[in-house]
Amino acid sequence: MSVALSARSLVCTRGRGRRRFELRVDALDLNAGEVLVLLGPNGAGKSTLLRALAGLDDGVRRGAITGGEGPVTLVFQRPTALSGTVEGNVRAALLGKGVPEPERSERVRRALLRFDIEPLADHDARTLSGGELRRLALARAFVLDPEVLLLDEPFDDLDAEGQRRLSLDLQEAIAETGVAVAMVTHDLRRALLLADRIAVLSNGRLAQHGARDDVLLHPDTPEIARIVGMINVAEGRVVRRTDDVTWIEIEAGFEVPTATPLETGERAWVGIRPEHLKLDVGRGDGEPIGKASVESLVSDGLASVVTLRVDERRFTTHLLSGRGLARRLRAGDRVALAVHPDQVHARPLR
Amino acid sequence: MGAEWQAGPVAEITLRTLWVCGAALVLALSVGVPIGIVLGTRRFFSRALVISSVNAGMGAPPVVVGLVGAILLARSGPFGDWNLLYTPWAMILTSTAIALPLVIGLTLAAVGSLDEEWDLQVRTLGLSRPWRIWLLVREIRMGLLAAVIAALGGILSEVGAVNMVGGNIAGETRVLTTAIMMHTSMGEFEIALDLASVLVGLMLSIALVLTWLQLSGRAR
Repeated sequence: MSVALSARSLVCTRGRGRRRFELRVDALDLNAGEVLVLLGPNGAGKSTLLRALAGLDDGVRRGAITGGEGPVTLVFQRPTALSGTVEGNVRAALLGKGVPEPERSERVRRALLRFDIEPLADHDARTLSGGELRRLALARAFVLDPEVLLLDEPFDDLDAEGQRRLSLDLQEAIAETGVAVAMVTHDLRRALLLADRIAVLSNGRLAQHGARDDVLLHPDTPEIARIVGMINVAEGRVVRRTDDVTWIEIEAGFEVPTATPLETGERAWVGIRPEHLKLDVGRGDGEPIGKASVESLVSDGLASVVTLRVDERRFTTHLLSGRGLARRLRAGDRVALAVHPDQVHARPLR
Repeated sequence: MGAEWQAGPVAEITLRTLWVCGAALVLALSVGVPIGIVLGTRRFFSRALVISSVNAGMGAPPVVVGLVGAILLARSGPFGDWNLLYTPWAMILTSTAIALPLVIGLTLAAVGSLDEEWDLQVRTLGLSRPWRIWLLVREIRMGLLAAVIAALGGILSEVGAVNMVGGNIAGETRVLTTAIMMHTSMGEFEIALDLASVLVGLMLSIALVLTWLQLSGRAR
């Protein structure tokens, strides 16, 4: 796979004194045709990195960004509409690019159609809704036939239906054009739908990056685990080992099995994704690990988020709303927990 | 009231007024708009000082500008060799100096009213600098129109400064405002009123055209 954009020894700084922020990225590649999702807490440096990759001066910068022979374009979190019509806005991106008519009109029409805003072509761009404006910004980016597309929170401020439709259109556009995409988003669910690779930023550093499932299932630190949605994180000590399974005690009498080989007596942390923590209803679904009490159960209509308590420690699991256990479960109920050892991520504590 | 209305001199004074005002406006816009854009889009050391000077200039008394102009252009002044004092060019330069802070200040305000990330967002479309500036000017055109109206108002209504550097010489540097002032001081109110109505007519016609442009621009 060829590299579309590559950052080496990148240093971006902004602010001064106590408000000084520094972003350091030793090496990050964006491959042609892939979607790289940048995750991290607020202030981690995601947007700064995106702007640096776009070649926009954002503070003092050292290091090099190479590649991007074709257009590299960035769609901002709050896109701006130029005065004039929607079509005029998309057309403006081709100013001075030497694209002759009728090719220019055809490209503009295709971009408008791709993001479903062709019926709004003659509308004043400044009267568009937030969702329409985002579609306009994407059409304005895609009309350039970019080699690299950088997206800053593309689903921000959209309702659920708007997010769903935009992510489908975006997915289709990425697949059809083969553009390399780097995307900043807080919406982990959308990110997982689109991502081929994930890069996690924390405190201005690239904490971990790699193939999507690798980062999701094997985060390097408890902090990264929480960022990528592995929110059940606990520390403990290895108490016993069998051939395939290592048992880690995280509370007195509460042991968790993992397929990761660790030394007995070693201190370790474990991470379990909510969807991998099972409520054991006697189906032999994983290794039983003990009992917990239901603290709360919140549903968004599709999924129920169940918060469980084992002594002072909280765990979270997800159930499909309105089905079986999710319908019967009440706060205060006692439930048995189970996990598959190969779905429990563990690392020695350093 | 010994003097009588004469169409020839009035037409000549009116044309000179239009020439002096037009040239000063063009000069103030050509210099002021780029400076306003640079001040609005670039961050550099001493930017705040420059902006403060512009703001101060917007409120500077025109008569002081005229005094400085007269000192600079006087035979003994630094630009005395140019022999500009008491010529229409002295009036144009002084009027430009009066209008310049207004043009810079209102251009700066127009650029400042754009989204903070406007420039970055346009840069990310890969447009060359001339095209970005073209888009920016198009974007702030209503603000620029306000700058034109303010500058023209300042230039057309100014009398003290142009009188100081122009001298109100008949057939050479007499314009509507200085002529009105002269006839009023001579007690020739009828002629002064006639000239004043020409001046007001001019201002109204220009204001009408600019307002029409402004309103049609807003509708687009």
